[in-house]
Amino acid sequence: MASADKLINTDVPEKDVFALHFLRSLSNLRTQNPLNSPDKSIDRVRKIKKAAYVSMARAAGGNSRLWSRALLRRAAKDDNKSVRFSRRKRKVTWKISSKRRRSNQRAPVVEEAAERLRNLVPGGGGMETSKLMEETAHYIKCLSMQVKVMQCLVDGLSQK
Amino acid sequence: MLEGLVSQESLSLNSMDMSVLERLKWVQQQQQQLQQVVYQSSNNSHELLQILQFHGSNNDDLLQSSFSPFQMLGSGFGPNYNIGFGPPHEAMDECISRTSSCHMEPVDTIEVLLKTGEENRAIALKNKRNPEVKTRGEEKTEKKIKVEAETESSMKGKSNMRNTEASSDTSKETSKKASEIQKLDYIHVRARRGQATDRHSLAERARREKISKKMKYLQDIVPGCNKVTGKAGMLDEIINYVQCLQRQVEFLSMKLAVLNPELELAVEDVSVKQAYFTNVVASKQSIMVDVPLFPLDQQGSLDLSAINPNQTTSIEAPSASWETQSQSLYNTSSLGFQY
Repeated sequence: MASADKLINTDVPEKDVFALHFLRSLSNLRTQNPLNSPDKSIDRVRKIKKAAYVSMARAAGGNSRLWSRALLRRAAKDDNKSVRFSRRKRKVTWKISSKRRRSNQRAPVVEEAAERLRNLVPGGGGMETSKLMEETAHYIKCLSMQVKVMQCLVDGLSQK
Repeated sequence: MLEGLVSQESLSLNSMDMSVLERLKWVQQQQQQLQQVVYQSSNNSHELLQILQFHGSNNDDLLQSSFSPFQMLGSGFGPNYNIGFGPPHEAMDECISRTSSCHMEPVDTIEVLLKTGEENRAIALKNKRNPEVKTRGEEKTEKKIKVEAETESSMKGKSNMRNTEASSDTSKETSKKASEIQKLDYIHVRARRGQATDRHSLAERARREKISKKMKYLQDIVPGCNKVTGKAGMLDEIINYVQCLQRQVEFLSMKLAVLNPELELAVEDVSVKQAYFTNVVASKQSIMVDVPLFPLDQQGSLDLSAINPNQTTSIEAPSASWETQSQSLYNTSSLGFQY
């Protein structure tokens, strides 16, 4: 999708990158849980879903996007791993949230929808509305790419 | 007449030995002279602009000193003229501005250059050094605000605030006028009739335009957004789309969990897949040549048997225990990603 707008850069890597990351994470999952598979199906679903999101965030650019950073941090927190992010993000968040309080009064229609979007997009809580839009655009692109990858995989598996 | 002015200007401006007082006096003289000139020769404004632009390009001092008569000039001109000054350098924190009157009235007039582009970035200039320029009767109310320097200018704008509020009444009265366009680097927004021109509302307007621009971009990405009009509807569509995608991911992961045992059978497959993908990354071309391209949404059955030999030859994989299941699985999954 050619972005005619030069101000926003929402380029997303090719499908292969997503596929690579996803398959790697799946294989990691498999090595973690050997074939005896004590898990119930719900846990497996959850793990696969999480693997999908994490691999998507990594494929989409690791730390270069706010939503991917927030997603990875959330995933790392769940596993109680150490989060290796710089402190700078915290300070920025504080400043932005205070700015957001003041800007929340503007255009209540937009802001109300933005609030809902913030709940959906990871890391949306600390962003201003305009930045939120950018992140949403990139997030949508990456999500659709990930969905395509998973769809192809499922098709390939189910056809055999 | 104009040539005389020019030479006089150039002489005085080029001599940097002048003290500030002398220069100010000179400026006032120039203004008085220009007042006479203005009404006589509106046709020659073109030349004047060129002259002043030439002057302005030399250095900041020239700019400042030449700006004030210029502002005077601009305000005095008939309805077709609005002249501001745009130095090409970016670091214009000092805003040249609304030419303010003498110390008596704090009313500033904003002289703005209008560019008839579709862009909506604006720049606010304030003249700090020359408060002695007299205001004119009919003032145009166009304002330039530098969007990037919004925060800076808002700090500096605090001092402008009382000035701007005073003139906002006059600004509301004036109507839009056509203006000549100079070739400058930046874009300006015109305050529309009946709208306030104070700093906050303009900044807010710029922000809203940014947001709407981004929403337009989102509209292109999200399918089906074109039919709905209005920000609220579009945003609802976008939210709906994001939710849809997330639900799809969940659904597909459930499907994968169901199909997982088949994947688990081929443990050796892991290294093979990795090998394949490193090859893909390293040398995309060779593999693409071997394998025909498939459409994204492949519904038909894949002709695996024909393709298998190609696959195995192009990849150095551990050939140990190539079960047919894993082989075909490997092929399907790899084939699925080439579109």
